[in-house]
Amino acid sequence: MKVLVLGGSGHIGARLIQTLANSGQHSPTGASRNAAKARPAGAEWLKLDSCNAAELADALRGFDAVVNCVAGDADSISKGAQALVQAALSANCPRIIHLSTMSVYGPVEGMVREDAPLNPGLGWYGRAKCQAEQQIGEFARQGGQAVVLRPGCVFGPGSELWVGRIGRFLQAGRLGDLGIGGDGWSNLVHVDDVCRAITAALHLPVNSGNVPTFNLAAPDSPRWNEYFVDLALAMGIAPVRRIRRRQLKLDAWLAGPPLKIAQVASKALKIPSSALPDPLPPGLLGLWSQHIHLDAHRASEELRVAWMPYAAALESSVAWLLKSKNPALLTRHPA
Amino acid sequence: MINDANSIPNAAYLQADVCIIGAGPAGIAMTLDLSARGLSVLLLESGYMQLDAKTQSLYEGEVADERMHSPPDKYRQRRLGGSSAIWGGRCMPFDPIDFETRSYIPYSGWPLSYEDLLPYYPQANALSEAGRFSYQAEDALGPRVAPMIQGFNSARVLTSGLERFSCPTHFGSRYAKQLELAPNVRVLLGANCTALRLQPDGRAVRSVEVTTLAGRRFSAACRTTVLAMGGIETARLLLASRDVTPAGVGNAHDVVGRYYMCHIAGNVGKLNVHGPVKNVRHGYEVSPEGVYCRRRLAVSASEQRRLGLANTVARLHFPRITDPAHQNGVLSGLFLARKLISYEYGKRLNDGNAATPAVYARHLLNVVKDPLDTTAFLTHWLTHRSLAERKFPSVILSNRTNRFSFEMHGEQIPQAQSRVMLGDKVDALGMPQVRVDWRYSSADIDSIRRTLDVMAQEFALSGVAHFEYDANTLEEDLVRFGAYGGHHIGTARMGLDARTSVVNADCQVHSVHNLFVAGSAVFPTSSQANPTLTLIALSLRLSHTLAKRLGQRPAIVAEEAFA
Repeated sequence: MKVLVLGGSGHIGARLIQTLANSGQHSPTGASRNAAKARPAGAEWLKLDSCNAAELADALRGFDAVVNCVAGDADSISKGAQALVQAALSANCPRIIHLSTMSVYGPVEGMVREDAPLNPGLGWYGRAKCQAEQQIGEFARQGGQAVVLRPGCVFGPGSELWVGRIGRFLQAGRLGDLGIGGDGWSNLVHVDDVCRAITAALHLPVNSGNVPTFNLAAPDSPRWNEYFVDLALAMGIAPVRRIRRRQLKLDAWLAGPPLKIAQVASKALKIPSSALPDPLPPGLLGLWSQHIHLDAHRASEELRVAWMPYAAALESSVAWLLKSKNPALLTRHPA
Repeated sequence: MINDANSIPNAAYLQADVCIIGAGPAGIAMTLDLSARGLSVLLLESGYMQLDAKTQSLYEGEVADERMHSPPDKYRQRRLGGSSAIWGGRCMPFDPIDFETRSYIPYSGWPLSYEDLLPYYPQANALSEAGRFSYQAEDALGPRVAPMIQGFNSARVLTSGLERFSCPTHFGSRYAKQLELAPNVRVLLGANCTALRLQPDGRAVRSVEVTTLAGRRFSAACRTTVLAMGGIETARLLLASRDVTPAGVGNAHDVVGRYYMCHIAGNVGKLNVHGPVKNVRHGYEVSPEGVYCRRRLAVSASEQRRLGLANTVARLHFPRITDPAHQNGVLSGLFLARKLISYEYGKRLNDGNAATPAVYARHLLNVVKDPLDTTAFLTHWLTHRSLAERKFPSVILSNRTNRFSFEMHGEQIPQAQSRVMLGDKVDALGMPQVRVDWRYSSADIDSIRRTLDVMAQEFALSGVAHFEYDANTLEEDLVRFGAYGGHHIGTARMGLDARTSVVNADCQVHSVHNLFVAGSAVFPTSSQANPTLTLIALSLRLSHTLAKRLGQRPAIVAEEAFA
């Protein structure tokens, strides 16, 4: 099967291309705004702007399916999805696998199944992802086959957001056991499980007009506190600190804006920003204390995802983290 | 969901798989666990999120001797989270020997073993936010950790055991949101259980009578009922429910309320460690998960058996606070500030002797002469306790002299005369108040005396320290403040024989097949350990038992049927 992976240089996209190339059953092509950093063996590469429907339509011709792993700002997400739908229809690309997010459920709490209503109440990201899903629905209405995957927080090797950044927060003493503030479910899912789900979605029978939608979160994923403590201990950061809610709030609301400005400035001036502390987005405080628990039964049953156990997923994340070239993380070694 | 009981219509009948009475650590742990196992739970809590004076006064009662036992409304809180709102957070499991039938401890022996309870301890530890279930120094703190006292290696007196400290976690505020969101859980606040109504044959609970202070009355008729109200209140409700069984529920053999135990605790003796102060670890150490841990001295199980000793531990402590002779500014500061400290924590700063102006003056002088130490202490206290979410557990002084006293915490030998019974007065809801008659025996004191002798011998033999105590004042030292507050044990004890116990190994009241007791009321013996961690573990075991008994079938959703 010929598969185009949009957002191919991102965390999930890059891992997916590798997985598809290794499978022997697919010939993947990666696509991104930039040239490939390290093109995986057995994969083609296209440089394209995924918001440009015409460019995209040209690229899509001849592909059996396209996987949308595009990340970025609100426009790349929602307008990108709109362009993709138009392009796939005009290029007769029969299938879109769309990577959505649990953020489309908004601030809801408790066990959440795929039939829960969408709620764009969590800010620009959730809003853009809701709009993107609506676009994908349009594709199905016009006769296309679409599958939507809604992962929780994707970790594992290469996860800058949920392993690298969290590791740096832990190391700096800015994160630890948060008590009530970290009592939300992490809904962590290993990147390889996400790739397996995408692979299964490529072959899933889809009835016309239907958009099969799947939550992706390992059923044994813990609450955030447990993940933070486990990750810190595996990194050799001891003793793990108990962080007061007030400290977290000061970090996010007071230190956050100047750090964000410094980050943007260093990017504009092309100075490496790795020396700067990461800003703590206030939205994360909400996420860590939000008791949303993704019900992933449907993915287990229909996509037959055999979830990687939490301990193994953690181990593979830590192995990547300690190997990564981040100087801040090489100063300490696990006990 | 969490609702006010006053929102329930009068005369309603509430149903669920399990009705739990009391939302303290036991009730909350069980509710969350049963919900996760797919059962529906009705959790009845008398209090609210915050302490409410009218509700708290329902705990009032009398004590036989004020010097021996605190009034029943102290060391207990009637609110969501129960007494975990004020606990100190000390966690450690019971020891395997605690479960054994020991010929030298009358009425000892649990109908279950340490191994039966072991699978539930890690989850209890996690709920208490006390880190890993690891209570040996080398395991918890790392293999290269220094010993408690350098050069003291005794097979008879062990120093590698640890106690760990919860934040201390207030189970009400910590788990309110989990309770709110747990599937098939309904928590009712302001719901006072005033009676258990049995079927006419007395073999099953028909309903639980619920009353609010605003006068709302309704019932809960659930498949099973669990009393998780604490060691004193459990006895009170069982004894006060007399309509079918005149002696009270489960009390055919006059066991309910008897064998009441706390712990024997006090400061005794003088330990003088030779050599530099760095050889001693007397205070708190922090485990990798960030939990405060502390070493303790204990006589080995084999020596306890050989010498017929009750289970006791000793911690290294500073001199008696009330006596200004210690010349320590921090201790004197504490003494002077004791009126500002809550009853529960200030109690042991008042030794019953009225302080004379001369004593006050000497304490004041200590503070003035020791300004640096006092300032450093206050700064640490502010940053590590007042402002910290994980609180530094107690006052620890820097060790300058290698001189300590022993802070003892000892098992109390069960005796039928020590008891909780109903008093003559009634509370605002018409429930009889309790009368607490706590007793200790000379055997309790004697066991600690012989424990101290073993410790003294072993220190002398080691050559690294010298321990002595005054045998003539030992009893006074150990009962100066009466029963150790807050540990209410044994009033519905577990056993195989209905003539000397109230519940069986499954925590089920012998004569009532759908009535269970969770909490330290069921402990047949008291151990050296504080009861909270073990009562949570035993409650989790009970919820596992109930899930097996009630089956894994889809839960009945908590609903109201109007009578």
